[in-house]
Amino acid sequence: MFLTRSEYDRGVNTFSPEGRLFQVEYAIEAIKLGSTAVGIQTADGVVIAVEKRLSSPLLVPTSVEKIMQIDSHIGCAMSGLTADARTLIDHARVQTLHHRFVYDEPMTPRACTQALCDLALRFGEDGKDEDAMSRPFGVALLVAGVDHTGPNLYHTDPSGTYVKWKAKAIGAGSEGAQTALQESYSSNMSMQEAETLALRTLKQVMEEKLDGTNVEIAAIRKEKGEFRIYSQEELKECITRL
Amino acid sequence: MLGELEGTVVFRELLALFPTSWLERISSHPSSEAAEKTVTMSGFKLTSGSGRFERDANVQSSASGEPIRHTQRPMVTGSSVIAMRCVDGVVIGADTLASYGSMARFRKISRLHKATDMCVVGAGGDLSDFQQLTTMVDKETNRDYCFNDGHGLSPKAIHQYVARVMYNRRNKMDPLWNYVVIAGMQNGDDGEEAKPVLGLVDLVGTHFESEVIATGFGEYLGLPLLRKAYREDITVAEGKKVVEQIMKVLFYRDARTIDRVQIATVTKDGVDMGEPFKLETEWSYKAFVDGARAGDMSTW
Amino acid sequence: MSVLRPNASVMGLPYTAPGNAPRGFTLGEHVDPEDPLEVGNSSNPHGKPRAIGPMGRRFQPYKNNGGTVVAVSGKDYSVIASDTRLGSGYSVPSRNVSRIIKLTDKCVLASSGMQSDIAVLHKVLRIRLTQYQYAHHQEMSLTAISQMLSTMLYYRRFQPYYTFNVLGGIDAEGHGWSYSYDAIGSHEKVRAVCSGTGQNLLQPILDNQVEFRQTAPEKKPEELSLEPCVELVKDAFTSAGERDIYTGDIVELAKVTAKGVEIEKFELRSD
Repeated sequence: MFLTRSEYDRGVNTFSPEGRLFQVEYAIEAIKLGSTAVGIQTADGVVIAVEKRLSSPLLVPTSVEKIMQIDSHIGCAMSGLTADARTLIDHARVQTLHHRFVYDEPMTPRACTQALCDLALRFGEDGKDEDAMSRPFGVALLVAGVDHTGPNLYHTDPSGTYVKWKAKAIGAGSEGAQTALQESYSSNMSMQEAETLALRTLKQVMEEKLDGTNVEIAAIRKEKGEFRIYSQEELKECITRL
Repeated sequence: MLGELEGTVVFRELLALFPTSWLERISSHPSSEAAEKTVTMSGFKLTSGSGRFERDANVQSSASGEPIRHTQRPMVTGSSVIAMRCVDGVVIGADTLASYGSMARFRKISRLHKATDMCVVGAGGDLSDFQQLTTMVDKETNRDYCFNDGHGLSPKAIHQYVARVMYNRRNKMDPLWNYVVIAGMQNGDDGEEAKPVLGLVDLVGTHFESEVIATGFGEYLGLPLLRKAYREDITVAEGKKVVEQIMKVLFYRDARTIDRVQIATVTKDGVDMGEPFKLETEWSYKAFVDGARAGDMSTW
Repeated sequence: MSVLRPNASVMGLPYTAPGNAPRGFTLGEHVDPEDPLEVGNSSNPHGKPRAIGPMGRRFQPYKNNGGTVVAVSGKDYSVIASDTRLGSGYSVPSRNVSRIIKLTDKCVLASSGMQSDIAVLHKVLRIRLTQYQYAHHQEMSLTAISQMLSTMLYYRRFQPYYTFNVLGGIDAEGHGWSYSYDAIGSHEKVRAVCSGTGQNLLQPILDNQVEFRQTAPEKKPEELSLEPCVELVKDAFTSAGERDIYTGDIVELAKVTAKGVEIEKFELRSD
């Protein structure tokens, strides 16, 4: 494989004769090595949940952060190189705060996702741009938020593409998880049902046994408009429903 | 003064011979004499330790190190421009004098410039600034001509361009000291006939279109006469007479005017720059001869 | 003469200490009492006159072109108005220069101050509104515009747009609001406000007739509705036109309701 592609998989901005950018494709491949994350949008809000891979019993589970808040009304789950996600999320946090500063209103999740993708696509070799990296970001995000139209769930990938989903899975178990979501999703499900579906889907694709430490779950509800990562107790309560 | 200037030049040339690192080495060396001493020349200071020229607070310098010289005041100036938009075209007039203070310095210059086949630009204020502005306008019209797309730069576009240039320069505190009048015929959209356009831009970027415009001294003495003479159906032929008459009134009272004027017109047939001509004047009016003290109630 | 409103001095703008304030009301051309180069300056009679070129003037980047702007808002409407006189010194170079701009179907801005700064501010606002629409797939709300205008003005804190703005419109809930700004972005959300050269003449009328300030509670009339409000604004402008030499010629009046923006004109005295 490397023999045939060697000429065109070096430069991040060089197309192959077939019209492909290999570095971007490899970055998308990197996400398939990441832990699984799922997001489900209902009429009342969005639930996102992630698997945490705890490689050692000595590792402190709470230090593994795979769901992060961007603004009070926007949060996201990640899969892939989570360190890359920090750069992206820092950028999004600045953008949402800047939006509040200039317009005295919350940024829409769509505009926030667009801002994330603007940075994701700004890779290259010139190095003039402070934020931009020399390679594509190796991370995919599930962005959850509410605006005046209601709850939104967006998926972004290293190519800078973003798409709105009703339910989406990313990461190592994404294929199986996406099938599971497709089978069980219904547009009139409640938030509680969405929590259960998210955890059940993760449980199906996880190698370890799902418990209170190796998953993280968060949600944003339309009526409150606040993104919140669930506490241990709330998570345990969700798990008992499985 | 001269010595100081020469000193600057010599000093700078000397510096050019040495690599910057060398300079830094002397100045940062504790025992070096240069390190102790601060050299000031024409606003440039060599300060110990920094190894760089620092700008003296009261002298701005450009990237090249030359002090920036801004036009803070007009030097050789033109007086009024008088213009009227008529039903079939535009009339614009100015005298041909360029003054240096109270001296009538150049008597046969033109303050009207043909920008395109359908547009004349006239100006009062600093003559050299106006010449630079016409160069800039010509560059734009020339660039547009090179597109060879059958469209010329319209008078409204030139008006807006001049407004942007003037505003930009005032923002840099380096104004073009002019009151610029733009007169022309604006082609309508598909087949609509061309409409006369008349606009003004001043040195701080104020810009507007109006049916009558007078600048300089003419703003006080000419503008009311223009407004009185204006009718919606006034023709270029009539307008020309009005402008000429106002130029005459201005000549009687504006000390920075002469009796040689140029009146240009723009109609659907294009620009007529008009030959400069001498105003017919009459000085034997009783009030002129007798003056204010001859029992005349007026203040002539 | 300072071109600023009293007690509204701004760094970078001409400022005259109260002791040096000359009498009269010349706007535009400005004499700087601190400037040793000014020749024949009455406040500096012993100052050494120095040659400053044949025309004897220094460049002043700011001037006030006058004009009065008003915004009055009710429960479900907003009325924004401005005259169209362009003043400079004691002259009226033009009688018909618009100072009012429709930003969206729910928001209108009127600006007084320096015409060239107003023109540029309006241009930049247009651009920012369009960019917002492209980025967010929605029209900017009144509140968003009000905040953005403030940041745009403050961005030029040290070389301000010499503009005094009033913004009027209806918000996302359908309520009418007016906003008033100083040259560097300080702003206030109110019912009725006015700015510009006629401010001193008009604001007390608005305070009394719209906000019913200092009115006995039992005498307070019903909430002002659109048509009486329009008549009030017209009367206010007619009054300002009588006494303010920088206000006159034509008034452009925008009525913002849920149906959109309707602009009408009426004439003031032209002397």
